[in-house]
Amino acid sequence: MDTKIVKKQQPKYINPYFGGILLGLLLLAAFFIAGRGLSASGAVKLLVVTVVDKVAPAHAEGNAYYSKFIPADGSSPLYNWLIFGAIGTFFGGMLSGAIFGRLKKLRVEHSPKISARTRLIAAGAGGILFGIGSQFGRGCSSGAALSGTASLSFGGLIVMALMFGIGYVFAWFFRKLWI
Amino acid sequence: MMKEELFISGRNIPNVDPYLNIWHWQIPIYLYLGGLAAGIMFFAGYFTIMRKEKDMETTVKWAPFLVPGALVVGLFALFLDLKHQLYFWRLYTTIRLESPMSWGAWTLMLVTPLSFIWVASYMKELFPKWDWKFNILNKAEALAIKYRKSMAWAMMLLAVVLGVYTGILLSAFNARPLWNTSVLGILFLTSGLSTGLAASMWMSKSKYERKVLSRLDLIMIGIELFLIIHMLMGFLAASEVQIEAAHLFLGGEFTVVFWVFVIILGLVFPATLEVLELKGFHIPVWIPALLILIGGLVFRFVMVEAGQITRFLY
Amino acid sequence: MGPLIPQEIITGQWDFVIALLIGGAFGFILEASGFSSSRNIAGVFYGYNFVVLRVFFTAMIVAMVGLLYFSYFGWIDLDLVFVLPTYLNSMLFGGFLMGLGFVIGGFCPGTSYTAVAIGKIDGIVFATGFLIGVFLFAEGFPFYEDFYTANDLGNITIGEMFGISNEWIAFLFVVVAIVAFYVTWLIEKRVRKNMTEYKFE
Repeated sequence: MDTKIVKKQQPKYINPYFGGILLGLLLLAAFFIAGRGLSASGAVKLLVVTVVDKVAPAHAEGNAYYSKFIPADGSSPLYNWLIFGAIGTFFGGMLSGAIFGRLKKLRVEHSPKISARTRLIAAGAGGILFGIGSQFGRGCSSGAALSGTASLSFGGLIVMALMFGIGYVFAWFFRKLWI
Repeated sequence: MMKEELFISGRNIPNVDPYLNIWHWQIPIYLYLGGLAAGIMFFAGYFTIMRKEKDMETTVKWAPFLVPGALVVGLFALFLDLKHQLYFWRLYTTIRLESPMSWGAWTLMLVTPLSFIWVASYMKELFPKWDWKFNILNKAEALAIKYRKSMAWAMMLLAVVLGVYTGILLSAFNARPLWNTSVLGILFLTSGLSTGLAASMWMSKSKYERKVLSRLDLIMIGIELFLIIHMLMGFLAASEVQIEAAHLFLGGEFTVVFWVFVIILGLVFPATLEVLELKGFHIPVWIPALLILIGGLVFRFVMVEAGQITRFLY
Repeated sequence: MGPLIPQEIITGQWDFVIALLIGGAFGFILEASGFSSSRNIAGVFYGYNFVVLRVFFTAMIVAMVGLLYFSYFGWIDLDLVFVLPTYLNSMLFGGFLMGLGFVIGGFCPGTSYTAVAIGKIDGIVFATGFLIGVFLFAEGFPFYEDFYTANDLGNITIGEMFGISNEWIAFLFVVVAIVAFYVTWLIEKRVRKNMTEYKFE
C-alpha cells in the first residue's frame, strides 16, 4: 500500500516585516489625519458605558468612571472615533480573511494537546484579565503599547515592556496551552 | 406671572414647519418592504418569462414566499401610520392619476393578491403533500398555472411600478428639498431590486443561481451608486436649500450613518465580497446578502428622517 | 500641515468615516499578517513564531521615525498629537494584568476582532471576556480610583523622562529592533527544528 505524503498547505500570510511597515505607515497616517493612533479597547469601553447607561442611568451617572464617557449633550457614547475604528477593524479582518481563504465556518482554534473547552476557558479568562488590565493601562496593545510608544509616550513604553515582560515570565507556567 | 406668547407667523406650525415631523419608523419600514417585495417579484417574473424556472428555482418559486408576508407587514405598518385609520378604505373608492398615493394604493391592491396566487400556484410543486381540499381551489390552481406567463408579465410590470412608487411617494413632496428630485423613484426601485436579489441569493442553494443573481446584484449596486452620486451632484448644483440638504450627507449630521452604513457597509463592501466570490474566493453568502439587506433598510430610514429636516427658507 | 482633524481641516462627521476606513486597513493588515490566530500570537512567548515581535517592532519604528521626520519637515505639529498620559502605578499594574491575559488568552482586543471576523469561537469568547473585564473594572472603580490616577506624570515622552532628546530615543529603538530581529531569527530557527507546525490559520 502506498503512503501518500500530503504536504499541508502553508497558510497564506504576508511577510511580517512588510505587514509591519504597512501598519507603521497606517499608524503614521492615523496620526497625521486624526492626531491619534489606533486603539481597539476604547470601543468596548464605550459599549459597556452605553449599555449600563441604557439599563441603569442613575448608576452610570453616579459611577465616576462611566460618567466620564457619557456626553453631556445626550448623544450616544457610541458616536466616537473608536467605535467606528473597531467596526472597521472587524470588516477589514473579514475582507482579509475572505481574500486569503480563512473565512470558514465557526471553529475553535486550539493546540492539539488541549481540548477545545480548555482553550475557550483560557480565552475567556485571558479576556477578562486583559479587559481589567487595559483600563488600568489606559489602552491595549494597539492603543497603549503600539500607538503610545510610537508617539514616544513614556506610559506607552511601560505598558509595552510590562505586557511582554510579564508574558515571558509566566509563559513557562502556561506552556501546556500552547506547545 | 407667565408670559403668553402668540405666534402669528406661518413658519412655526408644529410638526410641519419648519421641520416636518410626521413620518416615523412606519414609513421607512413600509418603503423597504415594498421595495424588497418588488425586487423579488420582478425577478420571479423575469426568469419565468425567460423560461429559466428550472435553473432559477429559488428566485421563481421559493423567494416569492417572502412577498405576501412582506407586503402584509408593510401595509400594516402603513396602516399604523394613518391618522384616520378607520377610513383607509376610501383610498380605494377613487383612482386619481395625479396622486402617487393613489397609484401606490391601487398597485398594492393588485400586487398583493397576485403574489398570493403566484405562491399558491407553486404549492403543490414544492410541497407534494399539499391539498387544497376544495375542488374550486384546485380548478383555480389549474387556471393559475395555465396563465403563469401572463401573471409573470403582470408581476414584472407591477413590481416596477411599486418600486418606483416607493420613491415617488417621497419625491412628490416638493416642499422637502431633499426629496424634491426625480432620481428618488428610480433609486428606490434599484435599491428594491438589489435587496430582492440579495434575499433570493441568500435563500438559494444552487451555485449557478447564486452566480447569476450575484452578477445581477453587482449591476444593481453599480447603478445604485451611480444614482446616489448623481442625486448628490444634482443637489449641489441646485438651489441653496438643496445644497444645504446635500450637506447633511457631506459633513452634516447624517454623514456617518449614510457613508458608513449605507454606502460602505451596505453597498461597496458587499459588492467587493461578491466580486471576490465570482473570482473564486470562497465567501459565505449570508455576509454580503445580510449587509445589503440591512443597508437598504438604513437607507430608507436615513432618507425619510433627513428629508423631514430639510426645508425651504430659513 | 497635520494633524488634520484636530485643526478642523477635515470637518464634520467625515472623521468617523475616516475612522472606519483606517480601522478597515488596520484589521486587514492584522489579519493578513497572521494575527487572527492565537497560536501565531502566542508563538512570541515560546519562540516558534515571532510574527508579533516583527510586526510590532517594525510598525513602531516606522511610525516613530515617521512622526519625527514629519515634524522635522513641518508636516505635523507634534504638540497636537495625542501622547498617552503616564500614570505610573496604574500602568504598571495594567501592564502586568495584560501580560497575563496575553499569554493565557493569546489575543489582544484588536486581534480578537479579526479573529471573530473569520469565525473563531475562541476570539468571540476572548472578546466577551474582555467586555466582562471592562465592566468589572468599571463597577469596582470607586475602590481604586485613587490608585488609578496616582503618580500622574502627564503626557510625558520617553525623552523627557530620561532627559535625552526624542531623536536619540528613536535611534535607540531602531537599533534595539534590528538586534531583536536578528536574535529572534536565530531563536526561531532553533525552536522550529523540533516542531512540524508553527504557522497556523
